[in-house]
Amino acid sequence: MFHDLAPQLFNGLVLGAFYAIVAVGLSLIMNLTGTINMAHGSFMTLAGYLAYSMVLRGTSFWFALIAAPLIVVIVGVVIERTLVRPLYKREPFYSLLMTFGLSLMAEEIYRLIWGSAGVPFSPPPALSGAANLGFMSFPTFRIFIAVVLIVAILALAFFLTRTRFGLRLRAAVQDTEMIAALGTNTQLLYAVNFGLGIFLAGIAGVLAGGMLGLSPTSGNALLMPAFVTVIIGGMGSLFGSIVGGLLIGMVISLTTLFIPAASEVSMYILMAVVLLVRPRGLFGEEGIFG
Amino acid sequence: MTARFELIVSVIALALLACAPALSPLVHLDISIVSEVLVTALAVMSVNLLLGYTGLPAFGNAAYFGLGAYGAALSVKYFNVDFFGAVLIGVVAALAGGLILGPFLLRRRGIYFGLLSIAFGQVFYFVAYRYTDVTGGEDGMNFPRPPIGLVHAALNEASFYYLVLVMFALSLLAFRTVVRSPFGRTLIAIRQNETRVRYLGLNTDRFIFVALLISATMAGLGGALFGLLINFAYPLELDWHQSGYFVLMMILGGAGTVWGSLVGAIIYVIGKDILSTVIQSQWQILLGALFVACVLGFPRGIVGTVQALRRGRGGGQQFTDDDVNAAFDPAAPVEVGRGR
Repeated sequence: MFHDLAPQLFNGLVLGAFYAIVAVGLSLIMNLTGTINMAHGSFMTLAGYLAYSMVLRGTSFWFALIAAPLIVVIVGVVIERTLVRPLYKREPFYSLLMTFGLSLMAEEIYRLIWGSAGVPFSPPPALSGAANLGFMSFPTFRIFIAVVLIVAILALAFFLTRTRFGLRLRAAVQDTEMIAALGTNTQLLYAVNFGLGIFLAGIAGVLAGGMLGLSPTSGNALLMPAFVTVIIGGMGSLFGSIVGGLLIGMVISLTTLFIPAASEVSMYILMAVVLLVRPRGLFGEEGIFG
Repeated sequence: MTARFELIVSVIALALLACAPALSPLVHLDISIVSEVLVTALAVMSVNLLLGYTGLPAFGNAAYFGLGAYGAALSVKYFNVDFFGAVLIGVVAALAGGLILGPFLLRRRGIYFGLLSIAFGQVFYFVAYRYTDVTGGEDGMNFPRPPIGLVHAALNEASFYYLVLVMFALSLLAFRTVVRSPFGRTLIAIRQNETRVRYLGLNTDRFIFVALLISATMAGLGGALFGLLINFAYPLELDWHQSGYFVLMMILGGAGTVWGSLVGAIIYVIGKDILSTVIQSQWQILLGALFVACVLGFPRGIVGTVQALRRGRGGGQQFTDDDVNAAFDPAAPVEVGRGR
């Protein structure tokens, strides 16, 4: 059992990186507009299916990895402009309910287009097989996933802290009215921010399709852990979402190894414990979201 | 809603429901569907108390609903209790769920509350899903419908319906009494401005906790009766999708109204029964579209709209007992517009 420990821990980290990147996308949208995007998982699934269809028609995996999320971003921003935007002025549960409706529709639409059974979506030959890391061998594709997700997170951090637009975005989270009064187009901020969250979901969706399989509900399977990630990391904190995601990934993979029956429930137990000790989550900021 | 209008509506509604076993064959409706409407309405009322009246996004009430159903199912299967015993155990299970989750939930408000409700509610889903030996896992569990203990009377669909109707009517009366009591008024005040309520010296956490327990009890009663109705308990009853459907029904019927829950449940349950046989799988697309349309274009719901129309006719002057749903007026998102 213990010689399984190192690969299992690494698996946990990769899984956790998925949770983290989905949770960061959710948090971006939630922090700025108070919208809990229940359709986040559906956007992931869509990106996965699009990439699958592209590869099936002969495009390269590398092209699909970028193109599929970008198409999903366009879909996402159109939805944000037309359906989510009217709800910003209203109570947040309306947008939760609306996006929930969207996810129900999306699930059935995917079923009509791609069938209800899962489809096989395998990584390109260059990434299949296993790499020998010295102390263990590990599937190359998972290492690739880890690298891509880390790069995505670093790029996001750079964007938010080093670019003018990113700074405006963070300022808007603090005080939207003030940043609007200073002459920033907040509607543009909302649209770009939503698109950014969806782009992260899209990348995660393509990679998750290759690692965890692709079915009409596969994205939604990552949604609930992402919610728990946001709660554990603390609402309002992107850094918290990253730490929370990795933590949950490790906890889940360790319980899968040692107590398989508790693998699903373990993250909720972790969440309860964290909330007992720190009611705002690990890095939750005082004053944000009551 | 004036008192006389409400009395007339209540009498007509109860008369119709009382005649339902005779009327429903005329429209090719099984009486068990009408029973399902009533037990679902109980769960919708439980959401309404938290979301419609108190303003807390209760997206986890399916957990209490499912606890009620599993409580009834397990007690019948393993302890051979009678009908009322099963209902009682189901309700107690849901109440216990509320007691456990309450302290976690009531520390937070707004979308944080919603997120916590979804996440914690999901625990029960996985427990039911995983502990296959006891709960039957994904396949769910069958159990026979127990008789009423004292008289050893087996229940057919019609007599089961009347039992459900009596419990529903009592619950509706209790619900109406609660939301119009000083306690219910305080919940509405919390929805409108919790900070001010605190300044008045009221411990709002305590009010919310009690509301949560009432809500869990009500959802548990609905769940236990639902389990006994279909003689079956399955994990999806506990899933957050189910919670979402309850919230949809509440919006559809009218959030923050006494009768809205029943109206929403009638439309949803009967509509689902008819449509899902006609169009099968595309039903879910239609349901999703209904969510989107309701939220964007019909946030007051049916009862809410009727009340707004009546209020408009009366000159919009008087403060009526039931216009909590003014809070759901899309034209007035923040100000609730008391005493305009």
